[in-house]
Amino acid sequence: MKKKVNILRKLFPYVMVIPTMILLAVFVFYPLVNMVYLSFFDYNLIKEKTFCGLDNYYRIFFIQTDFRDAFLNTLIYMAGTTFFLLFLGLVFALWLQRDSKFNAIAQRLMFFPNICAGLAISLIFQWLMDDEGLFNMVLGFFDIAPLRWLNDSTTSLLSVMIVAIWKGIGYYALILLSSVKSIPTELIEAADLDDAGKIRTFFKITLPMLSPQLFFLLITLTINSFKVFDSVRLMTGGGPGNSSDVLVYWIYRYSMEYNKYGLACAGGTVLLVILLILTVVYFRVIGKKVHYQ
Amino acid sequence: MGEIVFKNICKSFGDTKVIENLDLTIKDGEFTVLVGASGCGKTTLLRMIAGIGPATSGELYIDGEEVTDIPPGKRGIAMVFQNYAIYPTMTVRGNIEFGLKNKKIPKSERDRLIADAAEVVGLTPYLNRMPSQLSGGQRQRVALARAMVKTPSVFLLDEPLSNLDAKLRVAMRTELIELHHRLKTTFVYVTHDQTEAMSMADTIILMDGGKIQQMAAPEVIYNDPNNIFTAQFIGTPPMNVHKMRDDVNYIGYRPEKIQIFRDKPTDCTYVRKVKVITREMLGSETLYKLQILSDAENEKEPIMSKSLDMSFAVDEEVYIGVPKEDLYYFDANKMRIRETDMLERLYCTTEGDK
Repeated sequence: MKKKVNILRKLFPYVMVIPTMILLAVFVFYPLVNMVYLSFFDYNLIKEKTFCGLDNYYRIFFIQTDFRDAFLNTLIYMAGTTFFLLFLGLVFALWLQRDSKFNAIAQRLMFFPNICAGLAISLIFQWLMDDEGLFNMVLGFFDIAPLRWLNDSTTSLLSVMIVAIWKGIGYYALILLSSVKSIPTELIEAADLDDAGKIRTFFKITLPMLSPQLFFLLITLTINSFKVFDSVRLMTGGGPGNSSDVLVYWIYRYSMEYNKYGLACAGGTVLLVILLILTVVYFRVIGKKVHYQ
Repeated sequence: MGEIVFKNICKSFGDTKVIENLDLTIKDGEFTVLVGASGCGKTTLLRMIAGIGPATSGELYIDGEEVTDIPPGKRGIAMVFQNYAIYPTMTVRGNIEFGLKNKKIPKSERDRLIADAAEVVGLTPYLNRMPSQLSGGQRQRVALARAMVKTPSVFLLDEPLSNLDAKLRVAMRTELIELHHRLKTTFVYVTHDQTEAMSMADTIILMDGGKIQQMAAPEVIYNDPNNIFTAQFIGTPPMNVHKMRDDVNYIGYRPEKIQIFRDKPTDCTYVRKVKVITREMLGSETLYKLQILSDAENEKEPIMSKSLDMSFAVDEEVYIGVPKEDLYYFDANKMRIRETDMLERLYCTTEGDK
């Protein structure tokens, strides 16, 4: 009798997590495993799938150049947006630190783009960055030659990045602002009494105190920027050429538009592996230098 | 070397004036304690000396030098904060070293100073630990070592013991007194705890409402208070004070000076019949709460008595007596009356109930 109760007790937690596990299995684990599985097949939804080994991987890495372009673009996009969002977020957080009416308004305004739909922002910027758009009008006012922004292969990726930074800055500044404000004022005063200059205080006290938040943002930002899709799809369609193509958009095209599921799954698997490696590296290397209280 | 002089200092936060026209001299090499209830301006004064909360107007001199425009780090002072303000991202060594590094003191010299300071406060085995691995008392010592190592001319301490448990607090009190003897620099210590003030200070500055109520040595402030505020702030339980029968002046006497008798005493100036309301045993002494048996409005408030005799029971009716030399008189403005001829006149109004 007693044994039975014990077994029920042990089973109880598992019973409680079953609903979540079922959902995860159906919508996350199965597709994940299936994606890796399909990446070894030549498959287009209609004809019989045939096993082709690492052929898909060979093709995306060594034969078709568009995957490599998308991959490189994604890396540039990731590095650029992550760096500037963290850097500018920190600068704005330090600027907004002092309580004043102006800062309160600035903070709200800065957060505003973040609550707008990505679609709306993409459309607005498409108009702003149009050949005849507002940006070029302003440039023209100062007698600067107009840029072709989204329509030039040298600036298209940059333009997409500018929009992402503009949209995200308020959110990252807000998170960093709350952590800047949570640093006890006595610490800064103590540093003042210890005759540390403003710059030294920032690098020796403020920045280390912010490191847990910065680290968290770094990981989420990196992962999120690898998943960039909607702005590219809407504003440039990956072009001109492949100049602003990114990984997820490449995967989307190969699956939804070209029906080359095997190739798309191979691309997806590459993305998965990269994200796994990134996360492990971050926690191993940077995690050690981060101060947690 | 570190005499601190306040000249006509004012401080306001927004529209609220915290300190108005204050003049004060803190003597070189003394252990001075600023004591008062919260919001009395004592921490404000300390932060002015430190330079992290400058005065609104007035002049401040440290060691004869006007320091109004000198930044905190260049004033030759060190401060221990209430919650220690230890840099949580640095080791104990890093914390102590930070100020020295900023002053560009060479490495060998730094190591020697750190070793000395750590030895004094007993932190040598913990130099490479992070603050989060230390107990409250150890963090307190880090804060002290960090201040000491700078060999400041003025040592500022803002309620440094208030976050420690009772036992450690008493132990640290003695250590701080010893530290002061060893360093022989000016200590300015802020606290709201009159026991701390009494036990550590060379000079107590008692503050209330941004004003200095009395500035004197502990024994003077206890035996010879200037006004009712001082009389009641220093000493536990506080001095019993009530209006005299002329309804203008006040009479006061300390709980520990009250003598309790079963029979009416003849040799005391102040005699009252009382009833025991409560009795608290403290071990060496006993606290009695007493009600004067009188119809007079001015004596309705119960009085406290501290006695070595623990034999009086609750509800027992007894006599209390206070000798002439232990009675204090205060005028209508709650200031002390010291003139003896004045006392003579007042005697008749305080003579016991018939």
